Amino acid sequence: MAGGYTVNDLIRLLLHVAWWLLLAPLLPGIINRVKSWVAGRRGPPILQLYFDLARLWKKSVVMSTLASPAFIAGPAVAWVAVVGAAMLVPLGPAGALLHFRGDVLLMLYLLALARFATAWAAMETGSAFEGMGAAREVSYAILAEAAMVAAMLSLSIETGTVSLTTMLAPSAGAGAVLLAAGLFTVLLAENCRVPFDDPNTHLELTMIHEVMVLDHSGPPLAVILHGASVKLLLFSVLLVQAVLPMGELSPTAAPGVLLVGVFTVAVGVGLVESFLARFSFRRVPLLLTTAFLLCIFAVLVAWKGGAA
Amino acid sequence: MNPGTLLLASAASFVASIVAGNRYARAWLTLTLTGVFAGLSAALIVLLGTTDWEWRSTLIVGGQLVFLRLDGLSALFLVLVSVVGGAGAVYAHEYWSEDDYPTSAPRGRMWWSGLVLSMGLVLTIVNGLHFLIAWESFAICAYFLITLDRQRRAVRAAGWLYLAASHAGTVALFAFFASLAARTGSWELGPLRDHASLAPLFWLALFGFGVKAGVFPLHFWLPDAHANAPSHVSAVMSAVAIKMGIYGIVRFSGWLPMPAAAGWVVIALGATSALLGIAFAFAQDDVKRLLAYCSVENVGVIMIGLGGAMLAAAHGHASWGLLALSGALLHVWNHGAFKALLFFGAGSVLHATGTRTMSRLGGLWRTMPWTTGMFAIGAVAVSGLPPLNGFVSEWLVYLGLLDAVVSKGPAAWAAMPAIIMLAMAGALALASFTKAGALIFLGSPRTQAAAAAHESGRWMRLPMLTLAALCIALALVPVLFWPAVARAVNAWDTSWPPAAVPNSLTSIGRTQVALALAAVAATFLLLHKVRTNGLRRGLTWDCAYAAPTAHMQYSSGSFAGIVVGWFAWILRPQGIVRRPRGLLPLKAFRIGHNPETVLELVIGPVSRVIVQASRTASRLQHGNLQAYILYVIAALVALGSVAWLAGTP
Repeated sequence: MAGGYTVNDLIRLLLHVAWWLLLAPLLPGIINRVKSWVAGRRGPPILQLYFDLARLWKKSVVMSTLASPAFIAGPAVAWVAVVGAAMLVPLGPAGALLHFRGDVLLMLYLLALARFATAWAAMETGSAFEGMGAAREVSYAILAEAAMVAAMLSLSIETGTVSLTTMLAPSAGAGAVLLAAGLFTVLLAENCRVPFDDPNTHLELTMIHEVMVLDHSGPPLAVILHGASVKLLLFSVLLVQAVLPMGELSPTAAPGVLLVGVFTVAVGVGLVESFLARFSFRRVPLLLTTAFLLCIFAVLVAWKGGAA
Repeated sequence: MNPGTLLLASAASFVASIVAGNRYARAWLTLTLTGVFAGLSAALIVLLGTTDWEWRSTLIVGGQLVFLRLDGLSALFLVLVSVVGGAGAVYAHEYWSEDDYPTSAPRGRMWWSGLVLSMGLVLTIVNGLHFLIAWESFAICAYFLITLDRQRRAVRAAGWLYLAASHAGTVALFAFFASLAARTGSWELGPLRDHASLAPLFWLALFGFGVKAGVFPLHFWLPDAHANAPSHVSAVMSAVAIKMGIYGIVRFSGWLPMPAAAGWVVIALGATSALLGIAFAFAQDDVKRLLAYCSVENVGVIMIGLGGAMLAAAHGHASWGLLALSGALLHVWNHGAFKALLFFGAGSVLHATGTRTMSRLGGLWRTMPWTTGMFAIGAVAVSGLPPLNGFVSEWLVYLGLLDAVVSKGPAAWAAMPAIIMLAMAGALALASFTKAGALIFLGSPRTQAAAAAHESGRWMRLPMLTLAALCIALALVPVLFWPAVARAVNAWDTSWPPAAVPNSLTSIGRTQVALALAAVAATFLLLHKVRTNGLRRGLTWDCAYAAPTAHMQYSSGSFAGIVVGWFAWILRPQGIVRRPRGLLPLKAFRIGHNPETVLELVIGPVSRVIVQASRTASRLQHGNLQAYILYVIAALVALGSVAWLAGTP
């Protein structure tokens, strides 16, 4: 980042920001389209989330009588944290906007900051349902965090580096399948998808993330929805790059491959949601532990692979 | 100015403040702050300079010459003692004032000065015998501070437990220093790395100092003592006093030769403390107990870093050992700043509502906006989240461990589990402090007392603001604090090259500034947008239920329920449940209780056996003269036969 800034840097910055902020709301659209296609419905337009965001941004806000200004600050901080985390994730050979040794930990902890801010805002309302959602979110995150750290460890061992740009450049090697399965499960859990959470349910009792934002409306809700889509894109990009040797592709082919990869992940999420029901909450820890174990096996494979 | 003069001035002010404390509150505060500033300046001069301060006097105490030294490592801890010692004194001026506590306030002032003075002595003394004297006086001062409010039974019990545990540790330290003196022929302390035969003594030091540091499973005294002490005392105990144990472990792991297993044991103890400490914290309903258990976690983080450094030193990897140790030492400061801040916050809540039970609080942000803001800053910092200071030191520890993994040496097998456990502990800390902040400050008040809360005065707010500012400074310009930490690291292992600021730390600092600015800007923009779009207040959505009450809010037990279930094997939660019965149930309740498992399952039964054995033995003591004569004869016969048997070839 040091030194003078050129026009190229500016263009690079704009392209990165555009990728993360403008492309992200497309993902939920794709997932919904896959679900409706499997179910034989027409379904909402692929761009539905963009329309929703535009509509919400113009609306006025209803706020609980109990809530403090932190109820609005929570979504803002969470959005900054998620977008900040995204800026650390490389986009193929284009690299990340910001990279240094140990940035992988900053990314994980920024996602944690987003969780803290969202849970704090949820608790502002004094609602039992939102308390329930916040409690579930912060509890299941403990296992998800362990799985994420194990996944990152396996990438570090595989490449011998501790920065996301170099960790994600080659493919995950022999452990790629294990890592992909583990990361995909974490993706589903962290982004409140079936089988952990049901984004379409109408019963507050069965929700995790959605129940935390029940009381939000207008622009803060728009910020929350947009942040959630950026987070989904972040996990998809991470998954694609962990498996494919993105850093070794030519700069012209890479964006296309990345796009196809992210599209595949979104279709995968849609298919999972179409064919699987939400698990009972007792089985959520079990599934997350499985994801953790998959990542641990990926660590061991990476360790052996390097020694051989 | 010469650090020696400053330290002398500091000690003199503290002695004077002990005398003045009995009568004159303002004079005491002035003298204490003078002493604190003098001590702080001396420590900073040593930390930012290149030479240590030494003073070999001709004064003889207990047959030994007084010998004082302030090097990088002890100066680092002296900074912490000074900052929290001063902040707590200001806080106590209002929190434990003459008006509220006419008898114990003067006592509290005197013991406070005594405590800070003896901790300063512990850090500067380099003679085993004198160290023990200072250590003991530090323990006694802390005991009298914990039991300031001795009318309450729980306080007396907690104080007694602290005293007993503390002395169990001191016994080990007596053995440690005595054997050290016996084997080296001198009580004087210093680097002894080339005496390989001294290595096993490290285990004695680890136990003795580990009790004071509150390392799991030697932490059993800590939650009771820290929760029942007055809040300014809890702050100094949690933020500083347990660090004296850390100081001991760091000091002697640097000076003594290490047994081969030492690094592995320290890192394992650290990882266990971190994960289990915070699991216990999450289960608590008493905010000060929660904070106390969280200190066990943070001591674990420090021990992980130290253990990593010990492994690095053993296997000759200066580069990542340096990162791990500097993370650990920076965490000493960071934890000191945010834990004192959080205890002051909890003290303000206790002061305003009279309760520490989180399930009886709620909605305090309206009446206590300052405390809420300060507690929130402390909560983000303690959860290790960017952009605050807890993240910086945890990140350094992580980076050291990651480098250990990447270098694929044997130490990687300790570093990998430690990283995963540290990550889980981090997520649990986040859960614990979401719970604490939310239950105390958000939602609606659950009791009358919570509804009638009031903000604390400026004497209590000022130290909180100072500590919060310190947290922010440590977070945003970590580069500024690096030279001090690097100097302390250099004092630990002089063979490691002096470390320049790592480039990545500079990047972290810049990113943290950018993040903080972006978060503030985004908040203001969104608030502005909400205001221009129009804002209406309405009832909280409760599944269309129109009359939610404060008691329907999530409670402490329900929030932690999932995780308590996972850790039930060690937490052993107990509960009394009365389920709703009949068609029109009137009463149903659940009372949960999370015991201190180590205390109730290990220490309790063992002490009961000892007490029982002593009772049985005391039956021999009944005042019956004839029986006593019989004992004497029996003893003579027994001794005689032993001598006779030993004499016959």
